[in-house]
Order: sequence, then structure tokens, then C-alpha cells
Amino acid sequence: MSVPLGYYLILGGVLFAIGLCGALTRKNAIAVLMSIEIMFNAAILNFVVFWYYLHNGALTGQMFALFAIAVAAAESAVGLALVISVYRHYKSVDVNEMRSLKG
Amino acid sequence: MDVCGVSNFNVFPCVNDPYLTQYLFVAVFVLVAVLFPLVPLALVRVLAPRKPSPTKNATYECGLVSKGDSWIQFRAGYYLYALVYVIFAVETIFLYPWAVAFGGLSFGAFVAMMVFVLLLVEGLVYAWAKGALDWK
Amino acid sequence: MSVAYAPIVRALGSETALVLVALAVLTLDFIIGRKREVAKRRELVGAVALFGLALSAVPLVGQVGMTNVLLPGETLVVNPLVIIFKFVLIVLTAVTVLISIDHDIGTHVGEYFAMLLFGAIGMLLLVGTEEFLTIFVALELTSISLYVLTAFHKNSLRSQEAALKYFLFGAIATAFLLFGLSYIYGLTGATNLRDIGAALAKKGTDPLLGVGLLCVLVGLGFKVAMVPFHLWAPDAYEGAPTPVTAFIATGSKVASFFVLVKVLMVAFAGAVGSAYWGAFESGWAMVLGLTATASMVLGNCAAIVQRNVKRLLAYSSIAHAGYILVGLVAASSTGATAVLFYVIVYAITNLGAFGVVAALASRAGGDDLEHFNGMAKRAPFLSLLMLVFVLSLAGIPPLGGFFGKFYLFAAAVECDAEMFGLLWLVALGIVMSAVSLYYYLVLMKHMYVLPAKDETRIATPGHLKMALAFCAAGVVLLGVFPEPILALLKALVVRL
Repeated sequence: MSVPLGYYLILGGVLFAIGLCGALTRKNAIAVLMSIEIMFNAAILNFVVFWYYLHNGALTGQMFALFAIAVAAAESAVGLALVISVYRHYKSVDVNEMRSLKG
Repeated sequence: MDVCGVSNFNVFPCVNDPYLTQYLFVAVFVLVAVLFPLVPLALVRVLAPRKPSPTKNATYECGLVSKGDSWIQFRAGYYLYALVYVIFAVETIFLYPWAVAFGGLSFGAFVAMMVFVLLLVEGLVYAWAKGALDWK
Repeated sequence: MSVAYAPIVRALGSETALVLVALAVLTLDFIIGRKREVAKRRELVGAVALFGLALSAVPLVGQVGMTNVLLPGETLVVNPLVIIFKFVLIVLTAVTVLISIDHDIGTHVGEYFAMLLFGAIGMLLLVGTEEFLTIFVALELTSISLYVLTAFHKNSLRSQEAALKYFLFGAIATAFLLFGLSYIYGLTGATNLRDIGAALAKKGTDPLLGVGLLCVLVGLGFKVAMVPFHLWAPDAYEGAPTPVTAFIATGSKVASFFVLVKVLMVAFAGAVGSAYWGAFESGWAMVLGLTATASMVLGNCAAIVQRNVKRLLAYSSIAHAGYILVGLVAASSTGATAVLFYVIVYAITNLGAFGVVAALASRAGGDDLEHFNGMAKRAPFLSLLMLVFVLSLAGIPPLGGFFGKFYLFAAAVECDAEMFGLLWLVALGIVMSAVSLYYYLVLMKHMYVLPAKDETRIATPGHLKMALAFCAAGVVLLGVFPEPILALLKALVVRL
């Protein structure tokens, strides 16, 4: 007997919530980046699970997951590069310390 | 937790689902696994005498004295390899399904994938030409 | 499954041309750029980019008259509406390139123009598809290019910080979008807009689907900078190099609103709900009605206290997103037509306004309101153009902004002819337009009334003046003769 679909969806929802909490509360930009990756992975998990349980006639869900993984990687690479270039100016990756833009 | 009927699509299971009872012993194991380290820690808190001193609070009480911050820095130059690696490692994800289905694909699919690989190579050449791969 | 590649290549003509030109631009700058000065390189590489954009418009001419759905699942769509918007986006990018040639964008000239072209490719793909996977990838291509472009002032702390903030907010929004799409895919089994629409009509509303819809709205709402997902906009607009700000405020907005209209009108037509006064019904119209209210109020009120021109225009663009949403809330084909018309007018106007700021700020020493004192004497022609743009943004007849706003509000009133259920939203929009007049006039006061510290004339190159005059002419023309394009859009939207 395999695990019912609902449990995976709950797992996906919990992962997404964990990622969102991390992204909103963490001060360290790298930690925020990691939290965002968790949110992405929650969505990717959903895609694969929905594909496997409900729509396994076509490969749409798998394709979506593959593309999402690739896009997430590209995004995190750009994000890391931005964090490093900010670090060169501030000598810190604390998001709360970035206050040169205000109003 | 009763979430039956939340969705028209019947994706959520019910509490009397045999699936849950089957995993009851896992829940018991989890409970024991959590309690096992917590109980001795709590006992120590209650029973042990507390006399803190600088030597005792050092990172390694009976090892070398640690120096500096634990957030040491690596050479920033390395991050370029990491970024380039992340991109190339993940882009190959598209090569797997293509390779698995290779036998049944048309010539057009082959050309399309070659174009994709060519674009990746172009990225590699660019990184190379810009000196991102030089080991300084 | 065999796929016919020839029509795909034909439909992707513009995008392919832009990819090749972007790579050529990178190579060109790498090989011959080294030995020359930065200004010369900008001219050379910018000219190649412009040539590429002109080249990419050619395949569009060949597509006129085509109404094709290519690839199963509407992954690529060619129809007159798409062709119009691709053309508009190419023109917007070309004007952005012209503004950039004259602007200090650091030493990475080739990379700058290549990223600009990559962003344009993403936008073209975004309007030319009716399928969520392609929408997602295209949206990311655009966003990632814009993140990088925002950080192009390598020595400016503000630019780096703006890029990081833009990136973090943007990535969270993307995660929301993807998560929402996963539910929509799971519950309908489709990723193309039409099939999702059909499945929704059959199954009715569902809580999980509601979550999915809301997440997608969050993701797209971020891209169009509607309150409460606007937090990135003022920072990104202020910190980014001004030509990039212009590109974010116009090109990316046009493409995002186009997608938003398509997604809401085609895929989510079964979950409209209602924002009529006293008859709220849950659905996207209600959600957008509330965000439109918040966007108009917060955007206009926050703009009043700004001292920085780019920041002021950022808040004004948040307010404009609010006006545009009013047209969407109407959820009718008239509303969709008005939205598309207004988006074009808004993009041309804002591109011109940011172009003037880009041209003047670097020579006036900064982009605060004080730096623009007495501009009418220092740069009379550009000040005149700015007057046109600002009056159009404020909605003064006979400029394009007035008619755009008029059609938006008319569509909202007309969609419920008996009870005038959306009158509250329209009334708020009109009041807020009056508020907006105040800060636009403050900007004009600085340029036309207050004396400048330094009265020297500011000389701007001819190509820049020409590009901005072109924008101004567009604003005036769309105001004086709105009928042809409006009728065209209307005929095309009905077939959507």
C-alpha cells in the first residue's frame, strides 16, 4: 500500500510554509536564499506527486518539475552573485543592515 | 485531524484510514526517539551543580584554545567556480530524458538538443574567455 | 510523437534573431571592445543591438495574418494581438537601447546590452504563449535579466542593494507562482490556459484551487507591482541605472499585464467572483478590486512625500497599476481592451519620462527634485517633453493618458449597467487622479518655476532627443486619434 496523495500535499504545504517563514524572518541573505529554495522544492514535489497520482498519462508534470529545477538553479546562481557583490560593499550579508534606499 | 471533504477532488485521506493505523508504531518510535535524549538532559539540569568558569566555557574544554571567529572566510575567487558548476550541473538535467528516449526521437529532436548543448558550450567559452576558470 | 519544426522556427523568428544578436553583441564587445573608450564601445555595441532589434521585427511582418496555434497545448501562439504586442515590446526595447547609449553603465558594455536583449526575448516569449510552463520560463528569463541589469552600477552601493532586494522579493513571488501552478496543474490536469478554463467551468470552485489561484495572483501581482506586493518597486527603481528602471517600468509591465489579462480572462474565467458594491463574491475580481483600491491610495499618497524623482515615478507607477486593475476588475472584453490600450499608453509615457530623467540627472548631478530646478532654461526641449509625459500620466486631455484612463473607468462603469456596482472603484480612481495631479505639478514647479543654482545649458545628443520626441509624439497621437488602435484591439480581444 503506497502513501496516499494527501500526505504528500500536506508535506508540500508544510515545506512551503517553512520556506516562507524562513524567507520572511531570516536576516542573513544566504539563509533567505536557502528558504526560497525550500519553497521551490515544495512546488516541485507537488508537481511530481500530482503527475504520479492523477495525471500520469502525459509527462507534463515531470517536465514542469525539470524546468522548475533548472530555473531555480539559474535563479540561485544569480542570487548568490548578487549577495557576494553586496557583501563587497557592506562587508555583511545582513538584510536588515541594508538601508541606503529609504522613503 | 479530519480533513475529509475539504476538497471536491478527494485528495485528502480520512482519520479512520488504515494507512494511519499502520504507521502508528512509527509515531511511537518518534516519541521515544525524542524523549530519549531529552530526559537525561532534563535530569542533568535538575541534579548537576553549576559552577561556570572561563576554562569550562571554552569551545574545547580539554583541547587546543580556539582562535578567532568560526565564520572564517574562504577566498572569494572560489565562488565563481561554484556558480559556474551549479549552472552546468543542473542544465544537464535536460540531457537525461533526451538520452533515455533517444531511440524513439526524430532527427529534429537531435538538432534541437545540439542547439541546446551549443548554447551551453557558448556559456562555457564565455566564462573561459573572461578568465572565470583561471586558478589564481 | 513527431513535431513539425518548420512552423516553430518561423513563429520564433524574432526570438531567434535576438538570441543570435545578443551573442554577437557579447562577442563583439569582447574582441574589439577592449582597446576603445567606454563611450565609443557603447555607441558601437548599442548600434549593433539596435540593428538586431530592427532585424527581429522583420519576422513579425511575415507573421501578419497568421492565426496559428503551434505545438499541442498552445505552447506557441501567433495571432494579430500577439504580433502587435511583440512589436510594441521591440520598440520599447529599442528606445531603451537608445537611452542607454548615452548613459554611464560601467565597463561591461557588451554584457549590458546582451542582458537587455535577453530580457526582451523573455518578454516576447511571454506574450507569445498560452501555456503555463512557457509563461513561467519566460517570466523567469525576463526577471533574471532584470535582476542582473539592476546591479549594473558595480561601484554604486544603492544599485547592488536594489538588485538584491528586487531579487529576494522576486524570488519569493516566483516560488508563490510555481506553488500555485502546481495546484492548478494537479486539480485540472492541464497547463494550457484554455484547458484549465474548461476544467474550471466543469468542476466549479474548490478550496485547494482557490489557494492555487491566489498564489498565482501573488506571483503575477509582484511583476506588475500592485499593493501589497509593491515593496521592491521604489527601491529597485531608485537604485537601478535609469535606463534599466525605464525597462523595468515599461517592457516588463507591458508583458506582465498582457499575461495577467490572458490568464484571468481565459484560464480563470470560471472563478471571477464580483467586486460590486454590497455584492462581494469571492473570486479574482474581488481580490483585484481590493488590491486596486490599495494600489491607488498608497501609490498616490506615498508619491506626494517623495524627494527623489525616480522614487516619485515608482510610486506613481504603483498607482497606475491600480488604475489598470480597475479595468481588469470589470472582467469584460471592453475592460480587457481598455487595459491593453492603457498599458501601451502608460509604457510609452513612462519610458519617455524615465528617458528624460536619465538624460538630465547624470548631467545635473543627481535625481532628486532639487537637481531639476530651472530645467526649463537649461534644457528647454527635454523639459517640454517631460511636461507632455507628466500631463499624460496625470490624465490631462487631449493626451493619451486621459483617454486611456477614460476607457478604463468607462469599462468599469458599463460592466454593470443596472446597479453601477463598480462606481465606488471608479469614484476612488478619479479622486486619486486629482491627488496625483499635485505631485506631478510639484515636479513641474521644480522644472519650470524654481531657479537653478547653475544656469549652464545641458546638451543632449540628437539620437536621444529623437527617441524621446518619438515617445512624446506617440503619447499625443494616441490621445488625439485613439480610435484606430482601440478598434483594432477591441476586435482582437473579442476573439481571445
